[in-house]
This record gives sequence, C-alpha cells and structure tokens, in this order.
Amino acid sequence: MGVDILLVIVVLTALAFDFTNGFHDTANVVATSISTRAMGPRRAIAMASVLNFAGAFISLKVADTVGQGFVDTHAVTTTVIFSGLVGAIAWNLITWYFGLPSSSSHAMIGGLVGAVFAAAGWGAVDGHGVVTKLIVPAIVSPFVAFLAAAIAVLLSYRIIGQARPGSVNRGFRLGQLVSSGLLALSHGTNDAQKTMGVIALALVASGKISAAHFHVPLWVVIAAASAISLGTFSGGWRIIRTLGTRIIAMDPVQGFVAQTASAVVILAASRGGYPLSTTQVVTGGITGAGAGKRLSAVRWGMAGEIVIAWVLTLPCAALMAALVYGIVSLFGSGDAGPLVLSALMLVALAAALLRARPAGRARGALEGEHP
Amino acid sequence: MSLPIASAGATILKVAYSSVLASVAVSVVFALAVLGLSRASEMRRVNRQAAAGAYTLMAVCSLGICAAAVIWGLILVGQKS
Repeated sequence: MGVDILLVIVVLTALAFDFTNGFHDTANVVATSISTRAMGPRRAIAMASVLNFAGAFISLKVADTVGQGFVDTHAVTTTVIFSGLVGAIAWNLITWYFGLPSSSSHAMIGGLVGAVFAAAGWGAVDGHGVVTKLIVPAIVSPFVAFLAAAIAVLLSYRIIGQARPGSVNRGFRLGQLVSSGLLALSHGTNDAQKTMGVIALALVASGKISAAHFHVPLWVVIAAASAISLGTFSGGWRIIRTLGTRIIAMDPVQGFVAQTASAVVILAASRGGYPLSTTQVVTGGITGAGAGKRLSAVRWGMAGEIVIAWVLTLPCAALMAALVYGIVSLFGSGDAGPLVLSALMLVALAAALLRARPAGRARGALEGEHP
Repeated sequence: MSLPIASAGATILKVAYSSVLASVAVSVVFALAVLGLSRASEMRRVNRQAAAGAYTLMAVCSLGICAAAVIWGLILVGQKS
C-alpha cells in the first residue's frame, strides 16, 4: 500500500514537472510568431497548447529512450525518480524566475541521473547511453538548427529579393501560422514523451510494468499530453521576452525559417528517439536566422548567457536531485520523505507563481500590440 | 564498444544532415511560393494575364510541395521503425 502512495506521488510530481516544462517552454514555440506579429499572444499560446497535446500522440520513441536508455532500470526506485523530478523542478523554477532559458529536458534527465548516482553509484548509470543519446545530440542539435536556418534565410532572401516587401511579409506571416503549429507539434512529440518515459520507469520500479516488456500505457500518454498542454497554455511571459526580442529583432522571413528549422530538427530527433532540448534547438534556429541575414544583427552576448545556462543545467539538476535524495533518505525508506518534500515543493511553487505577478505587465504590453 | 559508438555517430549524422536538407528545402520552396504570389499580383496589376497565371501556378505547386513535405515528415516520425 505504501509503495502505491509513493507511486501516486511520483506520477503527480512527474505531471507537475510536465506542467512546468510546458509553462517554461511556451516561449520556444510562440516567441517568434509574437515577435514578428504573425499572431497575437493569446492565439499563439492557445494554438501551441492544442498542438502540444496532439504532438504527444505521434511517437513514443523518446519515451522509450528516457525509460530505458540512461540508467539501469533495476537500480531505480520510486524514491529515486521522485528525487530526480524534484531536483529538475527546482532547477526549472530557478531559471524561470531569473528569466534564463535553460533546458527542462536536460534538467529532467540530469535529475534522474543525479538521483540514481546518489542512490546506487556510477555503475547504475549507462554512460554510453548518456553520451550518445543525450550529450552528443544536445551539443549537435543547436548547431544543426543554426546552420539550417542560416542557409535557409540566405537562400530565401536571394529568392524574394526583388519582390515587394509588403507582400513578402504578408506571405511569410501566413507561413508562420503553419511553421509555428509544426513547432508546437514537434514540441509535443519530444518534450511530453520525456515525462511519459519517467512515469513508465516509475511503473517498472513499482512492479506495475515488467522491465522486459517496457511500454507506455495509454493513460500515461493522455495524462502527460494534458499536463504539458495546460502548462503551455499558462505561458511563460518572462522567457518570451528573452527569446522573442533580446536575441535578435526578427522579420517574418527569419521567423518562418527559424521555426521551420527548429521544428524539422526536433521532429527528426523524435524519429531517432533523441530527447532534445527544444529550447536549445529554437535558440539555435533563431540565432541562425539572424546570422543568415546579418552577423552583426545577432546579440551574441545574450546568446552566450544562454549557452552558460545550458552548460549549467545538467550538472546543477543532477546535484539538486542528489541533494533531494539525501534529504528524502533522512526520513527513512517510507513515504514520509517524499510527502514532506511534496508539501514544501507546493509551497515553493505557490510562492514562485505569486512572485510572477509583475510579469503580467509584460503580458499586457504584448497583448496591447495585438488587439 | 567502438562499433556501437560509430553506429550511434552515423545515426546522429544522418539525423543532422537530413534536418538541414529538409529545413532548407521547405524554406526555399515556400519562398518560391511567396515570390510566385507576389509576382502574380504585380502581373495582374499591369494586365499580363499569362505571366500572372504562370506565377500563380508556380506558387500553387510550391505550396503543394511544402504541404506534401510536412505531411510526409509527420508520417515518418509516426512510423514505428
């Protein structure tokens, strides 16, 4: 019975993480559309939310990778997964509070690896899986999005060079309705699945699913899709400002290309089962779209700050998860530790949301631009 | 150990270059569609109906290719293997 209570806590925590993931990553999906005035914030966020939900049903390969590719399933307990999730949520909230784009995905996997390391040592971590399925794709993907967007912008400007700017901008703004939708869909195919993988791993750890027949039950797919979709709908106004205007000021051609390149990279990675950071890919796409037009248009200093946040995400989330595991262990092996920490986490989340109220002014300002 | 790493590297490389090719192709074809629509409108304004028709056809074909590419891509992602 005790194990079941812990499993319920873990599933709810995973869904809470999924919600914060959607909340945190809304900016990735909608920033360029809002920045180029292709869509108003409300419409952009509503569309992203619906397509995030739909995208979660397209493929389950990323969920399989997260569930089986990074840690020894025999070393995983529900307490370990709980600790990993709390570490990841804490890191997500810190970066969100300071308006820093980071990677929710790397926070989650970093948290999981950190907690497994704290509980069972390095032997339980699949180093080969972490390197080939997480670290290498993490390093490569932003550069691929950057390169694709830079080449595409360069060629697109060559093609439309002689056309009237008014009709070109109108055409690409319409195109952004599709590219933005595709990006939201791709976000659902990659990010929602990470939570599905973690919940499935928790079900394996509690004996509800056999490790030999690892699969993601339908209720997990629906729950994870709903959580990320609701999170996306709730928005993340601070980060929208960072990605939408502080990296580069974009025109509709750049917006379309940045979104298309990002969506294609994420979808290709989802097909390969790589849990990418959508934030990193979108930032690469946006920066590439800026560099393709004019290198000096990109605010490299801001891009540098974002790179620092990326580098910190994996180790910091791992460290926090290890710390959480240590604290939970102080309460023994029962449910007391996770229950106490869940209560503390809810209080911290409420406090963070209350402190986020001033961001409503930014939302009002943005909505004022799009009546 | 080196074989799995080489295999993983080859897979990542394939994902990388297909992403670049697909992104560039879709963007370029969409730019052609926008150019076609823009030029068709200009040609109609100066009463050159044949040229306007040709540019419209170019735009429609380009949009069709873009739509087909997106649908094909989503089908590929949804496939089990």
